[in-house]
Amino acid sequence: MVFAFVRLALVAFVVMTLAYVGISIWSRQVRRRKLKRAWEEEGRPGDRADYVERGLDDYDDSLRRKLILLIYILPVVIVGFIIYLVNFM
Amino acid sequence: MRYVKWALWAVFWLLIAAFFHYTLPQRDIVRITDTFERRVDFGENSIFWAKADTGNASGTVNRDVFFIQSIRENGRPMVYRNEDTGWGWPPYFKFDTNNLQTEAADLRSTSADPQWVAVTHYGWRNEFISIFPNAVGVRALDSPDVTLIPWFNIIILLIFAAICWAIRVRWIRFRERRIDPVMENVEDSWDDGRGRVSGWFASWRKKK
Repeated sequence: MVFAFVRLALVAFVVMTLAYVGISIWSRQVRRRKLKRAWEEEGRPGDRADYVERGLDDYDDSLRRKLILLIYILPVVIVGFIIYLVNFM
Repeated sequence: MRYVKWALWAVFWLLIAAFFHYTLPQRDIVRITDTFERRVDFGENSIFWAKADTGNASGTVNRDVFFIQSIRENGRPMVYRNEDTGWGWPPYFKFDTNNLQTEAADLRSTSADPQWVAVTHYGWRNEFISIFPNAVGVRALDSPDVTLIPWFNIIILLIFAAICWAIRVRWIRFRERRIDPVMENVEDSWDDGRGRVSGWFASWRKKK
């Protein structure tokens, strides 16, 4: 029981961490690309690197970035729900 | 070559279909005639049996397994095994095997006075290798004439189809952008080369 549970937890943790890191990097890149485009559309105000850096700082504090944490939360909630559904309902 | 490609894809999709057909839950409308347990020595069919109940010693050669005997609506027999899936595959997280056996035993009925039951299960019944679907839940029905819509399976298969579609679209786009231009280049230079060679042959012929 303990061994099977630990095995599942470890595998799930590794997979979720890979997904979390991957999606974090991808999302930051998307944000960076959008900021560069926005900088050009706004008539190139000031230095482009500064503009992008400031935008990414805003992104770091945003809810959108914290939503990526759902990668860890959702599977655990789903498994808990299945356990309740199959065994206790 | 084209037929080989088709055959490979057919085998691939057959395997996918078999995987889903085995793993996804299905509901049968049955009448439970009896429940029993029996010692099972697992042989070459062991992949179709679960591991020992969660918490019990694992790696034993044989153990007692619960079974649920039933008669389906169409009069044909169906026997389910009743085993924990625990934390393993498939991810049903079933730990209540003994409770389920109690419920199933409580719903036993005779053909004279049938009590219809919807049995949720996964897996296959195959007489030739002695495998049984694993019952996951039982629910008493008032009458056998109910339509059970497999919403869960519909959602899972739709998500799977969406993922396949997304991969396919991206692959086609990738091929159009990266591989097709290269192949055209190769073909162009091949045509050029052939022109030169046949030109050379032509000049050689003229000499003669």
